[in-house]
Amino acid sequence: MTMDDEASSPAPSAPGRTAAYFDGTSNKRRTVTLRLDYALVIMEDGARIASWTYDDIRRADSPTGLLRLSCITGQGLARLEIRDAALAAEVTARCPRLDENLPSRRGIAAIVGWSLAAATSIVLVVLFGVPLAAERLTPLVPDSFERRLGEVGDKQVSAVFSPTQCTNAAGQAAFEKLVGKLRESAGLDTSVQSKVVTTSPKIANAFALPGGRVYLFNELLAKAENADEVAGVLAHELGHVRHRDSMRELIHNGGSSFLIGLLFGDVTGSGALLFTSRTLVQSSYSRDAESNADSFAIETMHRLGRPAKPMGELMLRITGKEGKGITLLSSHPLTEDRLARMDKADSGLKQGPPLLSGAEWQALKGICGSTKT
Amino acid sequence: MNDLSWTPPGPPPPMPVPPPMPVAFSGGRREFFHLVSRGAGLELITLGFYRFWLATDMRRHLWSNTHVDGDGAEYTGRGKELLIGFLVALAILVPVYLAYFLVGLEAERAQAFASIPLFLFFYLFGQFAIYRARRYRLTRTVWRGVRFWMSGSGWIYALQASLWGLLVLATLGLALPWREAALERYKMRHSYYGDLQGRFEGRGWDFFKRGWWLWLLTPFALYMAIFLPFVYGAFKAIEWRWWLSGIRFGDVRLESTLRKSELIGLYWKVIGWVVVLGIVFAIYLGLCAVLVSSMTATPIDEFFQSQEIVKSIPMLVLLGLGYLAFALAMNVVMRVYLMRDLWIRVLSSTIVHNIGAAANVSARGELANALGEGFADGLDVAGF
Repeated sequence: MTMDDEASSPAPSAPGRTAAYFDGTSNKRRTVTLRLDYALVIMEDGARIASWTYDDIRRADSPTGLLRLSCITGQGLARLEIRDAALAAEVTARCPRLDENLPSRRGIAAIVGWSLAAATSIVLVVLFGVPLAAERLTPLVPDSFERRLGEVGDKQVSAVFSPTQCTNAAGQAAFEKLVGKLRESAGLDTSVQSKVVTTSPKIANAFALPGGRVYLFNELLAKAENADEVAGVLAHELGHVRHRDSMRELIHNGGSSFLIGLLFGDVTGSGALLFTSRTLVQSSYSRDAESNADSFAIETMHRLGRPAKPMGELMLRITGKEGKGITLLSSHPLTEDRLARMDKADSGLKQGPPLLSGAEWQALKGICGSTKT
Repeated sequence: MNDLSWTPPGPPPPMPVPPPMPVAFSGGRREFFHLVSRGAGLELITLGFYRFWLATDMRRHLWSNTHVDGDGAEYTGRGKELLIGFLVALAILVPVYLAYFLVGLEAERAQAFASIPLFLFFYLFGQFAIYRARRYRLTRTVWRGVRFWMSGSGWIYALQASLWGLLVLATLGLALPWREAALERYKMRHSYYGDLQGRFEGRGWDFFKRGWWLWLLTPFALYMAIFLPFVYGAFKAIEWRWWLSGIRFGDVRLESTLRKSELIGLYWKVIGWVVVLGIVFAIYLGLCAVLVSSMTATPIDEFFQSQEIVKSIPMLVLLGLGYLAFALAMNVVMRVYLMRDLWIRVLSSTIVHNIGAAANVSARGELANALGEGFADGLDVAGF
């Protein structure tokens, strides 16, 4: 687009070439006339007050029906406002880099691309980096720190379940004998403390805290039919202690929660999305830990010459048949699969003497006082 | 200074005080709707990273269509600044979280759940974020080629806010008006438009006089949730009105005539949309269940009775997709109603007195970084 004659154009007086100008140093609104010359020349009362090179002119945000311009080499916040549509079109046509500062289609594509790259690397770190870090870091965590964690867990268990420790003397002796045998077979030292507790809402469960505290809930004991069943469960928990699974899980879950939270930020309904993906990642990790603890339990029991299958039977009695379906979300492998695995492992086992005598077993069952004998 | 020869002949000089000036808004609703729905889609594709640019675009739209005395404002912040602020905040928050974890561990060892008071520390951080985020937004606000800016210390503010917060807690909320007045005084005293200093003249007592009956109603509203939008809407309207009417920049004075019914109506519209979207989502889930059960040839009632429904993968995928669509639609509704419509209702009730006092302001003040916005994003706090 060429203008007629550039130097002699009587632009200052031409009507329709007026605009509002804010010089960026004061907020005074100045009515100016524009001359479209070698550059955009801004004139006030016939005197030149600024001239903007077309290449340096950028569009600034404005309400509809108004062209607002800024100049990257001028006073930072100086603004020129053109209301007249024809003049605006004329100026726009002369400024080749007018919209360079505004987000364009390419800019958005770059945002999308980099976001996906960031997301991919976070996912890869969660899937491969974090488990590796948990694996490598766990042996570096001092035992004393792990015991502290255990004490914290202990306090919280007390607050949540309000358990009462069962201390029936004969039962306690039987329990200690059982745990002692398992510990020897598993090669663990005496820092492992285990106790049988009874809780007010009856829960059939057993778990290990970091630093080697094993809890056996009386409800589980009540459902057990022989000493091997209980021994298997305890051996499984000792497996967690031996593998320092709580510590590993803590590092793994802490790391993956943080990274997944980072990934989703406050996106739409992040709560549910966050929860689901975290559960998926963490439960798969925990399934691995569980099946390792099962292997440990099988080995420990076999070293004592006792079968591992009863443990599986006890679990099946508690959980019932779990059936087919997805296992992605569950933190444990399917009970049926575990039972089948133990059954297979037991074949060819030369059975040794029972771990507890009949009387001892009865005493253990009655460890929580006068409930059942 | 006045040269007589320049005075125009005819009527006497203009009134000494210019008439009160309403604030106008010129942005189209459809345009904003388009902006936020596109933004929600991009937010989904980028797994949330687009939020920095979407927030910027929404502010640019709202700011540039707001006219005071005939001139539209301008928002000069950019999405990249918010992203950088977020990353810097992250670099600071990660070690803080770790330290928090270790200190919390020691506290828990002494006493179960003793680490809960440590939460106060993050409250302090959140208040700091609120102050600094406001500072960022203010320094990106330009009107007539001159920017607003803010001085003051985010930490002093956070300390004040936390102490006042404790007092509010101790008085079961009765001290809230005085807390807001004190904090707003601090914020406005450190706010400037060019060389025009701001101040806040709203008094806690005035706020209390207008809103005390809501304090009495709150327990009932919490008990009977149907009254909650009424009480909350009335509270927000009183708060907005009191806040705006207390703002001064030099001799420029704001006034608000916002009516309670306007906000209550707005909240009910949002609730209506939530109900509609919820029903649509429920119907969708029902259809999915029928579809999946016919695919697997399980009778529908058995499908619901057995735990099958939560274990079937196609069902979970359909559920996930439906949930995402539901969440996106909710997001759009929230932004259109609770950002744009709220903005307009508040603006259209606002009157500027004596705008002439802001006629010759010199530019001053520096830009602030987006660290506060980053903290606010990382800690999930929001504020004005």
